[in-house]
Amino acid sequence: MIRAIARMFLALCLLPLLAASAHAFDLAQLSQQLREPAVIRGQFVQEKHLRALPLPLVSRGQFVLARDHGLLWLLQAPLQQDYRITDSGIAQRTDSGWEAAGQHGTTKRQNELFLAVLGGDTQALQRDFELDLQGSSDAWTLTLTPRAKLLQQIFTAIHIQGSAATERIELLEPQGDSTLLLLESAQIDDQLSPVEQHDFSY
Amino acid sequence: MTSPTDEALRLPRLIPILFAVALLGLVGLTTWQWRDGPPVTANLLQLLPSGAPGELEQLAEKRMQEPLNRDLMLLVQHTDEASATALASEITDTLTASGLFAQVRRSVEADLSAIRQQLLEQRLALLDTASREALIAGPEVFVQQRLQRLYNPFEGSGLVPVEHDWFGIADMTQRQLPQPGNVRAGPDGQLLAEYQGQRWIVIHAQTHGDAFDERLPLQVEQLVEDARLQVETAKGELLASGGLLHAAHGQRQAREEASLIGSLSLLATLALLLLLFRTPRVLLAVLPVAVGALSGAAACIALFGQIHVLTLVLGASLVGVSIDFPLHYLSKSWTLQPWNGHLALRLTLPGLVLALLTNVIGYLAMAFTPFPALSQVAVFSAAGLTGAFACATCLLPWLLRAPLQPWPAPLGWAERGLRLRQALLGRIATPWLLGVFVLYCAFGVPQVSFTDDLRQWVSRAPALQEQAQRIGEISGFQPTSQYFLVRAATADELLASQEALSSRLDEQVAEGRLAGYLALSQIAAPATAQKNLQLALPHLLEASAPLLALGVDPERLEAELLTLQTQPIAELEQVLAGPLGEPWRPLWLGSQADGSVAGLVSLQGLGDSAALTGLTEGLDGISLIDRPAELNRLFAETKTQAATLKLIAAGLILVLLCLPFGWRGAARCLAVPLLAALGSLASLGWLGQSLTLFGLFGLLLVTAIGVDYAILMREQVGGAAVSLLGTLLAAVTTWLSFGLLALSSTPAVSNFGLAVSLGLLFSFLLAPWANPSQSHPQARRPHGTA
Repeated sequence: MIRAIARMFLALCLLPLLAASAHAFDLAQLSQQLREPAVIRGQFVQEKHLRALPLPLVSRGQFVLARDHGLLWLLQAPLQQDYRITDSGIAQRTDSGWEAAGQHGTTKRQNELFLAVLGGDTQALQRDFELDLQGSSDAWTLTLTPRAKLLQQIFTAIHIQGSAATERIELLEPQGDSTLLLLESAQIDDQLSPVEQHDFSY
Repeated sequence: MTSPTDEALRLPRLIPILFAVALLGLVGLTTWQWRDGPPVTANLLQLLPSGAPGELEQLAEKRMQEPLNRDLMLLVQHTDEASATALASEITDTLTASGLFAQVRRSVEADLSAIRQQLLEQRLALLDTASREALIAGPEVFVQQRLQRLYNPFEGSGLVPVEHDWFGIADMTQRQLPQPGNVRAGPDGQLLAEYQGQRWIVIHAQTHGDAFDERLPLQVEQLVEDARLQVETAKGELLASGGLLHAAHGQRQAREEASLIGSLSLLATLALLLLLFRTPRVLLAVLPVAVGALSGAAACIALFGQIHVLTLVLGASLVGVSIDFPLHYLSKSWTLQPWNGHLALRLTLPGLVLALLTNVIGYLAMAFTPFPALSQVAVFSAAGLTGAFACATCLLPWLLRAPLQPWPAPLGWAERGLRLRQALLGRIATPWLLGVFVLYCAFGVPQVSFTDDLRQWVSRAPALQEQAQRIGEISGFQPTSQYFLVRAATADELLASQEALSSRLDEQVAEGRLAGYLALSQIAAPATAQKNLQLALPHLLEASAPLLALGVDPERLEAELLTLQTQPIAELEQVLAGPLGEPWRPLWLGSQADGSVAGLVSLQGLGDSAALTGLTEGLDGISLIDRPAELNRLFAETKTQAATLKLIAAGLILVLLCLPFGWRGAARCLAVPLLAALGSLASLGWLGQSLTLFGLFGLLLVTAIGVDYAILMREQVGGAAVSLLGTLLAAVTTWLSFGLLALSSTPAVSNFGLAVSLGLLFSFLLAPWANPSQSHPQARRPHGTA
């Protein structure tokens, strides 16, 4: 369960976001802005800062975020592993094709919430978080603070920054560990490549 | 004004006085028996023979039954999630406030620190078999996979912090822990089940008492109905299931049916009596029925300690036969004019005594079956009939002395009926008719299915069943009556046995024949396996280069290794005591008196119990417990036994009837009910019905009643037409009390009613053949006056 929640948040971070209102630039507009591109491709750097380790765990790879399909997360260094998130859940590529990750899977609610985030669904996020949006459409910061106690035991806060697309996501855990995701050189496209199509379909 | 002959006919006055004293005693006994409330039980299990012979089997049965009798599961759904949450929360509060529940749970109280601690202390015991084997076989791969999980952005960190779990054993344990069912905690801790795009909030409650408590089921049902109304008013949907709701339905149904069928048959009987005898006095004829019911209940409570609702329902109607006693002599008033109750009784008494004796012999035969249900009904009926007979003979004639002028028309109909019958016999002789009858039976009987199913004992509740089925699909909890009982010398051997069974069950799950199962071996590894793991740990350290490359301090890895190696071996009971062990706790039956141990493997969502046959082959100490199949087998055995007993009883009755009628006459009288039973059995076949245990009981009952009709038709006190009319009256009143049971929604009861209705019809139609002179048109006897 904890894992699933964590997963949801991490995932949500990559994504377009939403909700509460500021004067000039509000959540509705942010949702709108993030939902616009059909496909975003780019590279990511993930830094896992663990108190127990002197150096962060750094990994790199490529991502493809498709508004109507989901997310491909292709980890390339230090190890190779492909992940896929769609509304049917999270899958991991194996020699024999995509395989649902974990034997229990998440509840649909968690996938849904996550994909609602992808699609810029304000309401879904507001149910579990306090949302605070600062800045303008080309330089904004959204802070998510969990409402539920169970969530508070896992995250203290999530900070998301971006301009046209999401660029930086930071997750803070109560014990002091944190995870930073940087989405770099994002490029907008209006369709998936045949290979990506295939990855989403099978 | 009484004539001297009247005086001579009069029975001693002492009889009604003695009877009144006995009746007072009976009322006193009943009052004393009911002093602490009604000694009535609705527990179906008490009607069934205890199939579980040993103490251990009984303990196992109790463990498996308990959740069925105490648990209530509610699912709430609403298109607006916030409304669903609000509704679920209100319902939870209402249930808690009712004080009926020991526990009401809607969300996980995440005591994460307790779970974390268990994971830390018992990770070697909790680690699943596949991971244990993977760790021993390939420590490098194990470390590599750990690394992968550390980098995986979608798999958050486990409950145990990385610094205490560099090798990821606790993390792996947490990941591989079986999660029974589809119910998961949502981000806010709320219990949720997702199914076909719908999200249901799960409320799980457990009552203090169980489904057999007298008032509890109805109280719980009321709470659920209130909740349903509340949810539906808010345009949401509520599903509920639990043994309690079925119990409540059964209780209500039984009560409604008993009062509906009871009052219907009573009113119709009274109306019939009034119509025929045209004086309110005749209504006293129901007095024997009341006395009969009273004596039946008193005898049952005295012998069994209490009486079951089902006995009461069946038995109460059974006593409806008891109205036959007064009817048989009251019907003599058509020809016995001026009416003299004492004379009528003197004339009919031999027949009545014979009828009583044959009936009681028939019922008591049933009492020797091992089925408490049948014994109770038999005792109730035998005692009830005796009481009714006593009342009809010892009290009623003194109360019904006034002149009686019955409605003459029915006698004319009876005469016309007899003439028609003679005309028919004149064209087609008896042997031909018998031939047709035999053909009818020969083709009907093979069509009867003799299946029995415990579910027929429970009244149909399609709405409840449908909900239970949907809840099973949505939540993934589909409890199954079949389970495995595993015995072993030690806890380690028990775990090994369960594991061997588990691998066979896994195949059934993979093939879709079983949804899942719970076994103790899923949650705890045997001590030997834990020791093997400890021995393999140094290899893990040797393979830890990738972890060191991350910058992990080598001393930390060594320290973790040392902790794991020196950790005490976790015993099964310790694992179960932790928060993670909760779902498995009921499976552990503990140590037995002889030092051996026992545990269960429970099953979920079993399609066909045939999937389980042969699974225990070659595995010692494992037995499949299939109570429904066992009971159904027992039903079949009991049927054979009951039929055999009945045949012995028939032999006794034959001997008894030989005394007044000679063996030819006795055989004739016995042939009527036996042929009637055969005829109704064949009719059940033609109607596509099955003969259940209760249906058989109905047929046996009919043979007892049929003997009465045969005796009375043979005696012909007051003439053939009067006797036929008396038989018809008795058949109609009996049908009013039994035949109406065919309307019951409990299949077993309705099958009983149908069998009796058919049997009555045949008994009545065949009864005239009991008298040889009635069989030949030439030997027609004038009738009319006595």
